Amino acid sequence: MKILEVQHLVKEFGGLRANDDISFSLEKEELTGVIGPNGAGKTTLFNCIAGLHPVTSGRIFFDGRDITALKAHEVARLGLARTFQVYTAAGDLNVEENVMVGCFMRTASRTEARRRARRILAELNLEEHADALVSELPVAAQKQVTMATALGTAPKLLLLDEVAAGLNPSEIDQIMDTIRHLHHDLGITIVLIEHVMALVMNVCQRLVVLDYGKKIADGGPEDIADNPQVIKAYLGERYVAEHTGELS
Amino acid sequence: METLKNAFDFSDFPRSDLVVAGVLALALAAFPFLSPSSFAMATMIQFFMFSIYGMGWNTIGGYGGQVDLGKAQYVGIGAYTTAVMLIRWDIPFWVSMPVGMCLSVMWSFIIGYPLFRLKGHYFAIATIATSLVLKDLFEVWDFVGAARGLEISPIKYHPPDFLRLIFRDDIYYYYIIFAFFLAGIVYINWFRKSRLGFQLRSIKDNEEVARSLGINVHWAKIKTYAIATAFVSVAGSFHACYIKNIEPEDTMSLDISILIALMAMLGGAGSLWGPIIGAGILIPLKSYLKEWLGARAGLVGIDLIIYALIIMVISAKEPRGIWGIVERVRRRKRRR
Repeated sequence: MKILEVQHLVKEFGGLRANDDISFSLEKEELTGVIGPNGAGKTTLFNCIAGLHPVTSGRIFFDGRDITALKAHEVARLGLARTFQVYTAAGDLNVEENVMVGCFMRTASRTEARRRARRILAELNLEEHADALVSELPVAAQKQVTMATALGTAPKLLLLDEVAAGLNPSEIDQIMDTIRHLHHDLGITIVLIEHVMALVMNVCQRLVVLDYGKKIADGGPEDIADNPQVIKAYLGERYVAEHTGELS
Repeated sequence: METLKNAFDFSDFPRSDLVVAGVLALALAAFPFLSPSSFAMATMIQFFMFSIYGMGWNTIGGYGGQVDLGKAQYVGIGAYTTAVMLIRWDIPFWVSMPVGMCLSVMWSFIIGYPLFRLKGHYFAIATIATSLVLKDLFEVWDFVGAARGLEISPIKYHPPDFLRLIFRDDIYYYYIIFAFFLAGIVYINWFRKSRLGFQLRSIKDNEEVARSLGINVHWAKIKTYAIATAFVSVAGSFHACYIKNIEPEDTMSLDISILIALMAMLGGAGSLWGPIIGAGILIPLKSYLKEWLGARAGLVGIDLIIYALIIMVISAKEPRGIWGIVERVRRRKRRR
C-alpha cells in the first residue's frame, strides 16, 4: 500500500523552479533516501510535502488522502512528522519537555504527555539527558532529541532532514542504529535527506536523486551508485567524460 | 482533578524558592497590620494590580514571545464596563467584572485575528495602534463620559459594600486584590505546564517547527492573547472600583501598556515570578519617584527616562530579565 504519493510536484520561488515536475511514491514501511547536490531542491520537497510551502502545481497524497492544500499542522496531525536540518528545539525547555511538545499533539493531558515522552526517550537511550537543556548536549544527542520530538507526534511517516550532518563517524553509526530501530522495530516509514553517503548506502532500501529541482534517478542504492547521470550530477560532466573515455 | 493538582504543583521549583515565596506571601498578608502609611498601602495595591496585568502579559508576551504593547486597552474595557454598569444600572462588581472580561475577550478575538498575521516589531506596533485608537474612541464617546471620564461617587453607597466593591478603608481593597493576585499565580502555574503553555514556548522558538508538530500557531496565539486579556480586564474592573474616577488617559494610555510589558521583561518574561519581581521593583520606584521628584519643575518625565534605561540594560545584558540571571547562575552552579 502506498503511504505517500507525489504527482508532478512543481514549486517555484519567483522565477526559480526549486522542484520541477517531481513524481514518486512510497510504500508503507519503506526506508527511502533523497539525495542530490546542494541546492537540488531536497529540503523544498520536504517543505512542500509537510505543508510548510504551498505548492505551485502538482498533487500530494498521504495515506490515501489529498494533502496538497493542507496546512502544516493539519498534515502533522494526520501522522506525517519531520525534523529540520538546522537544529531546533525550544531553548528554555529541557529535553523531556521538548519531546512532550510533540506528545501534546495526541493528548491534552500533561501526565500522559510526560509518560509518552519518557517512553520515547527510553526507546532512543536518551533518558540520561532528560533534564538537560538541549543546547547543552553534544550535536548527535541534539539530533536524536529532534527525532524524539517528531516521534512524540506518533507519526506513520517520518521525514528526516540531514540528521547526520556535522557528526563524526561513531556518531553517524549511532544515528544509523537509531534510524534502523525506528524503521525495523517501530515500523515507521522513513524518508531521509542526507549527504553522508555511508549512511545513505547502508540504511536506505531505495534512493530518489534530485538535481536542479528535477528527479534524475530512482531505484535501489546499488543501481543508483552506477547510474551515469547521478555520477555526472555529483562529480561533473568532465569526470564522466574522462572516465568513460578511459574505459572505452 | 488533574488540572487542579497541576495548578498547585510548584514542585519543579527548588525548595529555597518556595520558602522565599512563602515568606513573602506571609509578609504581604501581614502588611496591612504593620500600620503602613496610606501612601504605602496605595503603592502595594498598585503593585498587585500591575502584577496581575504583568502575569497576563507574560502569557502571550513571555511564554509566547509576542511583544504586546497594547494591554492598556483591556484595562480600559474592564474598567469602563464595571464603571458604566455600576453608575448607570447599579450592577455590582461581581457581575460586571465577568461581563467586562467577556467583552475584552471578544474584542481580543476581533483584533487578534488580523494582529497575529503580523510578526515581531510589526505586531508590537499594531498592538499600540489598536490600543490608541480605542482610547481615542472612548475620548469622544459620550455614553462613557468622553474625555471627562466617569466617576463612581462613594456617597451613594454604604461602604463597606462587598457587592459593588466600594470601601472607605484601603484594607478591603488590599485583601481582595491580594486574593486575585494569588489566584493569578495559581492559574499561571497551571498554564505554563499546560498543553498550550508548552506549545507557546515551541512557537516562540521556531514557528515552522511548531507547525510541523501539529500546532495551529495562529489559533494558539489568539487563544493565549484572550487569556492575557482576561487577566488584564479583571484587574481593570478592580481599578474602576478602587480609583473610582476613570478617564481614557489614565486607563488606556500608552504609558500603561509599556509599563506592563516593561515590568514583565525586567523581572523575567516567560517565567512565573518574573512579572511579580518586575512589578515589585518598578511600582514602588514609580510611586516614590513621583512623590520625591515629580513635583519639582523639570523632573516630571524622570520616570520615563528610567524606564528607557532599564529597557536598554535588559536588552543588552540579559533579555530574560532578573529571573534569567537567577536561572543562569543556578545552572552554572549545578553543572559544577
